[in-house]
Amino acid sequence: MFKRKIKKFKIPLNPKHELAVLLSSRSSLDPAPLKDQKGRQPILARLRKVHLVWLISIFSVSAFAAEVTGGVDQPSLIKTIFLWTPFLLKGFGFNLLISFISMAIGTLLGAVLGVFQISLFLPVRLSSKILTQFFRNSPWLVLLFYCMFMLPFEITIGGFIIPFPDWIKAVIGLSLPVMANVSEIIRGAINSIPSGQWESAESLAFTRRQQIWLIILPQCYKRMLPPWMNLYSILTMATVLASIVGVEEVMSLAGQVLAADGRPELLVPIYSFVLAWFFIYCYPIAKLTLRLEKKYALKT
Amino acid sequence: MSFKLFRALLISFFVVCLVSPALQADVVDDIKARGKLIVGVKADYKPYGFRDTSGKIIGIEPELAQDVADMLGVKLELIPVVASNRMEFLKQGKIDLMIATMTDRPDRARMVFIVQPNYYSSGINLLVTKKAALKKWEDLRGKPVCGIQGSFYNKKVGQEFGAKIVAFKGTAESLNALKQGSCIGFVYDDSFIVAKLQDPQWSDYEMSLKTIDDSSWGLAVKHGEYRFYGMMSELTMKWHANGRIIELEEKFGITPTPFAVNMNKRYSDKK
Amino acid sequence: MEPFFEWFRLLYDETGINLTFIYDSYDRVRLWKGFLTTLWLSGTCLVFSVIIGIAGAWLQGSHHKWTRRIVQGYIQFFRNTPPLVQLYFFYFALGSLMPKVQNEWGGYEPILGNFVWAVISLSFFAGSFNVEIFRSGVEAVPMSTVEAAESLGYTRLKAYIYIVLPLAFRVCLPALSNNLINLVKTTTLAFAIAVPEMLYVSSQIWSDNVNVREMMTFLLVAYVSIVGILAWVINRWEHSLKIPGYGG
Repeated sequence: MFKRKIKKFKIPLNPKHELAVLLSSRSSLDPAPLKDQKGRQPILARLRKVHLVWLISIFSVSAFAAEVTGGVDQPSLIKTIFLWTPFLLKGFGFNLLISFISMAIGTLLGAVLGVFQISLFLPVRLSSKILTQFFRNSPWLVLLFYCMFMLPFEITIGGFIIPFPDWIKAVIGLSLPVMANVSEIIRGAINSIPSGQWESAESLAFTRRQQIWLIILPQCYKRMLPPWMNLYSILTMATVLASIVGVEEVMSLAGQVLAADGRPELLVPIYSFVLAWFFIYCYPIAKLTLRLEKKYALKT
Repeated sequence: MSFKLFRALLISFFVVCLVSPALQADVVDDIKARGKLIVGVKADYKPYGFRDTSGKIIGIEPELAQDVADMLGVKLELIPVVASNRMEFLKQGKIDLMIATMTDRPDRARMVFIVQPNYYSSGINLLVTKKAALKKWEDLRGKPVCGIQGSFYNKKVGQEFGAKIVAFKGTAESLNALKQGSCIGFVYDDSFIVAKLQDPQWSDYEMSLKTIDDSSWGLAVKHGEYRFYGMMSELTMKWHANGRIIELEEKFGITPTPFAVNMNKRYSDKK
Repeated sequence: MEPFFEWFRLLYDETGINLTFIYDSYDRVRLWKGFLTTLWLSGTCLVFSVIIGIAGAWLQGSHHKWTRRIVQGYIQFFRNTPPLVQLYFFYFALGSLMPKVQNEWGGYEPILGNFVWAVISLSFFAGSFNVEIFRSGVEAVPMSTVEAAESLGYTRLKAYIYIVLPLAFRVCLPALSNNLINLVKTTTLAFAIAVPEMLYVSSQIWSDNVNVREMMTFLLVAYVSIVGILAWVINRWEHSLKIPGYGG
């Protein structure tokens, strides 16, 4: 007669409720960011437009405060900053150039080093491990200083003179820690591939090289992308260190602007201006990372 | 004389004639072949070398560099240097000439060829707050003094007078720290301090101590460049005789230093 | 000790390897002081950043929306701006706003010196990363454990201190050690605001004595050793806290 509607209650199986002392720690290379796992998202992905609003407000408040306390017979601060902007932008572009090239070199070298770290050959494995640990443990600034002073300013190879300007030395100096970090990222990604993949590849008679190149590494790309983008953002911030060793990038140019102008109250507005540019650069990258991550997310 | 000896002498004479132009190929020839003179100058030290809004380096020293380029009949390229790399660049050949507020000291003369006579001079003094009422340098014992990282007089002021040197990267940071009160004074070249004191916002500060270590600055060329050295030495003497240094000082708003005035008198008399 | 030091002066005369920080007493004393300052700076920043991390992780679980937002804002600001510029901000901008005290020569100096500002700035910088690390550790503690604590009458704070945190600690130790090592390396930045740590003193020594190569090599070796020792200590601690079957 009547069909009784039996309400079916779906009991959501929350993995957190399975009894365990501790949940198995998820590696930071977990691909799919669930809604409640904001903590696992890379830092870049969590930049919001509101942070730019905060930065701009800090800049304008400080500029206004400096203007009020400054002298009346000098050109207004906003106008001064506006006049110096093209000059500073060139410096900022230089920062970006350094970060691109450094990242490219560091990634290439780090990939090679990372694969060497899982080699079956003990000397290769040991030496690449030592190299990675050494460059990971050295302060970036000291490595930069080292490269600036130790590398020659030009090398002659059989009649060709290759000039080595300062910024190339800074690029090499920055690519060394990048190389070490990329090597660690790759090693971590390869280690997170289940051993079943290696075994089945071996049983299908792939050589070791083919296993790594055709089977393991393609699965790693997606896992490596978030930490890699994270590293790029850290590198972009670190290009500012090149100013300490004399490269003409945005921080040292800002220092020259301050010296040319001579007003101490210009310090905070100029630096917050430069900060705002770093933010404007990182924000679209963060959004891009988020999009790429969603696109490549593995369904687990 | 035997014929063999004569032949040997003749051949060696020809060899020397062939080789010596190559031996004499020096930086002046390189500059002329390049069509460009590369000079290292400061870009963060007003008024000796600083930037204008278009990014060009202007100041007393770039103007002197332009004079050198005009003398050689080539174009000028300015490369910004800082104290830590100016001698290295010259030694490596990255710059042909260095006019970068470098004090003439014997340990530096060992590394680069400093042109005599010196083109400028300045001593060290202290931009100090009036409240401190300092009378002599020894009053600085135990007090924090701002300075620039890498200045050679930091050690002297720190060791001899017992001041605590707080060194920053650039003048902007040091002046800011001084304004905040983190240090009692700013130790730097007296010409810079005199220029700063003309600014009304520094009216609470004074330069009450005696200028010490009045040492002359030198232009430098690479060791071994005798021809270039000779040309620069002559040019410096001409600058002093014509009053070019005094003219540039007045152009960039500093009162002519006693050194410049003395050298002008000395060399214009010699004329 | 003197003959030992004098040997290095001979080394300079013979080979040109100028290790003034060994044979010259002025340089030796100030480099030693710089080394101690580096250790002290790293130690205080480490402790404070861990405290900030723990406090921040707790505040992130708060019921109030604004508390959570403020903590998020703090994290975003410190993670997305160069630490060098943060240091400048703290020392020059905030430093000029601080109240001034009168010092012995009649002038006014800011109440907090540059060492204190360096500690504050670097602790906040590292603390922002720590908050995320501790948060991931806290999330690894199963909800059932927290509910059990609640049913036993623990308040949220007490449950956090006695139950959640000790369990979370094991999970976050690898990432935490990474961050602490980065912190020790980042203390070199304090040289930009004239904190007399090792890099600052070395740069003064090499500008006085023009022995850049020797000082740079020494710095590299010194920092790699400090960081290496710290990494080894934390590794041993991790090893002792390990639970078989868990951990990355």
